[in-house]
Amino acid sequence: MADPILSIRGLKKSFGALTATDDVSLDLFPGEIHALIGPNGAGKSTLIKQIVGEIRPNEGTIRFEGQVIDRLDAAARARLGLARSFQVSSVIPDFTVLQNVMLAVAGADGHVFRFHRPALSDRTLTEPARFHIAHAGLSGREGTRASVLSHGERRKLEIAMALALRPRAFLLDEPMAGMGLEGAKQLTAILSDLRSEAPILLVEHDMDAVFALADRISVLVYGRIIATGSVAEIRANPEVRRSYLGEEA
Amino acid sequence: MNRDLIVNLVIFALLVAVALGAHVAGQGFTVTLATKAAILGLAGVGLNLALGYGGLVSFGHAAFFGIGGYVTGIFASHAANGDPILTLPFTLMGSNEMLGIWPMAMLAAALAALLIGALSLRTSGVYFIMVTLAFAQMIYYFAISWPRYGGEDGLSFYVRNSFPGLNTFDPIQYFAICAGLLALALLFTAVVTQSRFGLALQATRQNEQRSTAVGIRATPVRLTAFVLSAMITALAGALYADLNRFVSPSMFSWHMSGEIMVFVILGGVGRLCGPVAGAAVFILLEHLLGPVSDHWQALLGLMLLAIVLFAPGGLIGLTLKALRRTEHG
Ligand SMILES: Nc1ncnc2c1ncn2[C@@H]1O[C@H](COP(=O)(O)OP(=O)(O)OP(=O)(O)O)[C@@H](O)[C@H]1O
Ligand SMILES: [Mg+2]
Repeated sequence: MADPILSIRGLKKSFGALTATDDVSLDLFPGEIHALIGPNGAGKSTLIKQIVGEIRPNEGTIRFEGQVIDRLDAAARARLGLARSFQVSSVIPDFTVLQNVMLAVAGADGHVFRFHRPALSDRTLTEPARFHIAHAGLSGREGTRASVLSHGERRKLEIAMALALRPRAFLLDEPMAGMGLEGAKQLTAILSDLRSEAPILLVEHDMDAVFALADRISVLVYGRIIATGSVAEIRANPEVRRSYLGEEA
Repeated sequence: MNRDLIVNLVIFALLVAVALGAHVAGQGFTVTLATKAAILGLAGVGLNLALGYGGLVSFGHAAFFGIGGYVTGIFASHAANGDPILTLPFTLMGSNEMLGIWPMAMLAAALAALLIGALSLRTSGVYFIMVTLAFAQMIYYFAISWPRYGGEDGLSFYVRNSFPGLNTFDPIQYFAICAGLLALALLFTAVVTQSRFGLALQATRQNEQRSTAVGIRATPVRLTAFVLSAMITALAGALYADLNRFVSPSMFSWHMSGEIMVFVILGGVGRLCGPVAGAAVFILLEHLLGPVSDHWQALLGLMLLAIVLFAPGGLIGLTLKALRRTEHG
């Protein structure tokens, strides 16, 4: 198999007496969608936050494209191409869709300290931004303020911003949350498409989406990975059925 | 042309019209009032870059206003008595050339802002307000206890500094200098806030976590805005010193910081010409009501309260809203 893009070894994080991440090791390989599932409070978001550098683990190490990134801050990791979407969607509310994505383009190319040229007439910003907006399925909404977008459109905007980072890996925290049936279907198609851009670590509660998209699934319970395998393997795993899927059946 | 631009141009044009009108009518005092509005507006334009666009609630901008003023006073007084300001590590002589003094005033403020900003930006919210206030108060007490430049009594200089080709003593010519610099500062703010940097600055104000997630570190962006903001406010301080031919520690006081903030809030936070409108209304109230009652500030307080509660866009926001309403029937 090819080398993993993202490789996590022995990650531990506790909040006081609570161990939110308990010796987690996990790989994300080129071209794959690796789903991370588990009950509420299992530590999925906490794991994502450690990967992107928002919170620091107590132990363990993270490699990204072969490089140890433990000492890099969140902005530096983003510039390496670790693109993230938030569980609760997070955009710049007073910016238009176009400005939001332009911001991500500017952040990715690292040239933020330019004071002169109007950003809106800078084609090195607007052209890639429009391209990513179209790719995420938001064409026609470029001039709309982010705060008035529908929930589903805001999710797509986050995808467009992630694309603008020229991502080497996507970390998506419950992108389907609150999308409704039709929206979830659309987004499933978009995510399936994204796989060709970069591999995806997908945290998701929507099992239809997970089973449709995932190449591999890891199950996190109380901060521990109790199983990793293909869709079929995970569906058949008795421990997983008991501790997670069993709740739904 | 969009509505914002028109409102901005009208505010600036009104200020110029008042000064010109007063000049033609032979009312030098009113010209001086308009000059004061331009200068204090400029101080507010500086703060607005940090506060309005960057969300950095600095309660210490009097520090930069005062630094601009004292640099001017110190250069002018040394030019008068011929003593050097410094002999070590290099010899620095006084000057009464505005074009030489302004860069010095802005440089001194930039260095101070770099230090104050680097420390205060480690905090946020109410702590940021307190740390910036604390630094300004430190400088205030330092100025009071520095006898060489007048201490508590302040420092007078008898001749207004000079500007090539102009007679700075003529009120309308001095107004022209101040209004010109105000126009430049407004243009600068308009350009910077539309640039890549402006995009990043406004993004960090609205959502720091999101900005970080797209690879933008908030602190260097904010520090840069803070320093630029301080330089503009220092330039206003330099002009204010020349207007009065006098500087005193009160330029550093927290009242001054508060007043600059009032200009911004009254006019409209993050609106280009907001601080100019705010300063003009402030001076108008002070001039009209000040002689009637010492309590005119109570009325100002009420106005501020009404604006904060009911019209967070300030006077400019209200004007824009009214325009929109008339346009739509
Ligand atoms: N900053 C924090 N301080 C203390 N405890 C925290 C903190 N962040 C998360 N936790 C706790 O860590 C555990 C894991 O939380 P996390 O948000 O990672 O769960 P999750 O798997 O994403 O859950 P959900 O599916 O509900 O999003 C929870 O018990 C949570 O209360
Ligand atoms: Mg979560």
